[in-house]
Amino acid sequence: MTQVDTNTPPAPARPMARRQGAMAAKFAALLAVLLVLPFIVPLIGMNVGIASEIVIYSLFAIAFNILLGFTGLPSFGHAAFFGTGAYMVAILQYQGIENTAVALLTAALGGGIAAGLVGVLVCKKRGIYFGLLTLAFGQMFFIVALRWDEVTGGETGLTGLTRSTIDLGFAAFDLNDQMTFYYFVLLVFFLSILVIWRILSSPFGAVLRGIKENELRVQYLGYPAYLYKWAAITISGAFSGLAGGLFAYYQYATYPEFVFWVQSGNVVVATLIGGGLNSFFGPILGAAIFVGAEDLISSYTEHWMLFFGLLFISVVIFFPNGIPQAVMRLTSWIRGRTGAQDADKASEETGK
Amino acid sequence: MPGFVEIVSQLTNGVIYGLILALVAVGFSLVLGVMGIINFAHGLLFALGAYLAYSLQFHVGYFGALVIAPLIVGMIGILMEFVFIRRLYGRDPLFVLVLTFGVAMAGEEIIQLIWGKLARSVDAPAFADSFIDFGFIIYSEYRLFMAAAAALIIGATWYLLAKSPLGSIIRAGTHDPEMVSILGMNLPLIRTGVFGFTALLGGAAGVVAAPLWSVRPTMGLDALLPAFLIVVIGGMGSFWGSVLGGLLVGVANAISVMFFPRFADLTMYVLAAVVLLYWPRGLLGKKSVLE
Repeated sequence: MTQVDTNTPPAPARPMARRQGAMAAKFAALLAVLLVLPFIVPLIGMNVGIASEIVIYSLFAIAFNILLGFTGLPSFGHAAFFGTGAYMVAILQYQGIENTAVALLTAALGGGIAAGLVGVLVCKKRGIYFGLLTLAFGQMFFIVALRWDEVTGGETGLTGLTRSTIDLGFAAFDLNDQMTFYYFVLLVFFLSILVIWRILSSPFGAVLRGIKENELRVQYLGYPAYLYKWAAITISGAFSGLAGGLFAYYQYATYPEFVFWVQSGNVVVATLIGGGLNSFFGPILGAAIFVGAEDLISSYTEHWMLFFGLLFISVVIFFPNGIPQAVMRLTSWIRGRTGAQDADKASEETGK
Repeated sequence: MPGFVEIVSQLTNGVIYGLILALVAVGFSLVLGVMGIINFAHGLLFALGAYLAYSLQFHVGYFGALVIAPLIVGMIGILMEFVFIRRLYGRDPLFVLVLTFGVAMAGEEIIQLIWGKLARSVDAPAFADSFIDFGFIIYSEYRLFMAAAAALIIGATWYLLAKSPLGSIIRAGTHDPEMVSILGMNLPLIRTGVFGFTALLGGAAGVVAAPLWSVRPTMGLDALLPAFLIVVIGGMGSFWGSVLGGLLVGVANAISVMFFPRFADLTMYVLAAVVLLYWPRGLLGKKSVLE
């Protein structure tokens, strides 16, 4: 992570424009794949609902990756922000506020505020100490969710939520319909990642990447690095909260498990699987694989923690740089020694 | 308002709880300092100590368990370092944390498969299973034994680290691992040894705590999360910081149990947040490479 060449001269204007074109093509390709996803999922014997879960989890992982992949901050407390968003939707609904847009905006706001508060405590830290602090303070939200039963429903959570019908005048969309819900989630997801990409490709995003490469240098250049980190944490928390809000609708409920440390670990692992350390879209692939594996594991055994644990361990040991790179290495290995070096080089390049 | 006797006994409970937490935190913080890794499975080792004490008590009695269980846990620690963690030295510390996350999850489930979901009880040793009457207060003998045992182990660990030749190698290793290996020390062996030793400490803490702690699969986390905060409060890499932090968390917890029991668990977070804002390096922490 730290050995990336920092002496590369700034890219000239023309390749920049070309890169933006390539990015637009990637967004379009992604949209195309996700538009047909609910038709693919049943073909491999899974419930259509899984498609929604994949997209929601992708949003969570991309939001998380603003910190890990683009600012170099290993957060291990992201379940707190995701869960806060989920609880916001549920609590609002228990208070009689049914409007979906209001609920989701509140979810994002809640996630952002939670992250902003934690951010005040952690924004001057980095590396493993940052991980330790986010993990510890993330668990604080779990305790609140568990103990403050009047508001959060305690151990049983808040169940029996409803999805409303979005009436646009010319057409009404009932979110209780699996397909309609999926495309609604997809819309929120796609708009969100466009905004996230816009933020990350702005000068602000450039400073974040600078912090990832060398925080001290960024400080010497006169940027208040901790303010940038705080902003990154808050933005990441807001989008995580939005994902959590969608997840509450998806589950028709919120449970304390949404805020549990296992959830914080899940998003790290999903991001790693997809090769998110070096890529914007990686977490989507990671989320898809992770959610698929989760569905598979939990349908076969009640001892899912054991298999998840083994999954965590094997991800770190066998493909810490993500499955895409692992696949490339494997194909190059199959092609034989002569091809191997080229493919290795290629995989490293795409890795960056 | 709680009465005088209740206050005294709660505060004493708090100090003793704090000593156990300090014992857990000392091991956790040693691995963090020497190897720069967060061992999320440290709580699992604590839980294993307690569960082994439960199983061994029927065969070798409490004292037998107090000796054998930590040794087994130490061995498990060495195995863990040798099989998994060793592969990740020199890589992003993030990976070790994810790995130990996985070990903690799998381990918790394995404990559940072996010993079941329900809480188990470990008997206090016969010589300390009743109460002492101090005149104004009647206090559990085992709690006093627990305090003495935890303090003794903490003291012995400090002696080993601060006064023995091995300790100076370990301390040098935290400052400059490269230099230590250039001087001809076998650094991988030292790391394995330190990891095994902290596992042993965690296991010992588990055995000592077992008779009064509810021995259930999630107990590891119940001890580990306070340990995180204790390291934050006491300061990274400071031995006495961990002990001080442990005592503070224990006492703060005891006080809040008296006044607002439902949210008592949150007190240590508030404490850690306050410390972090006013003493960014912890109460006794020094500037370290880990910031």
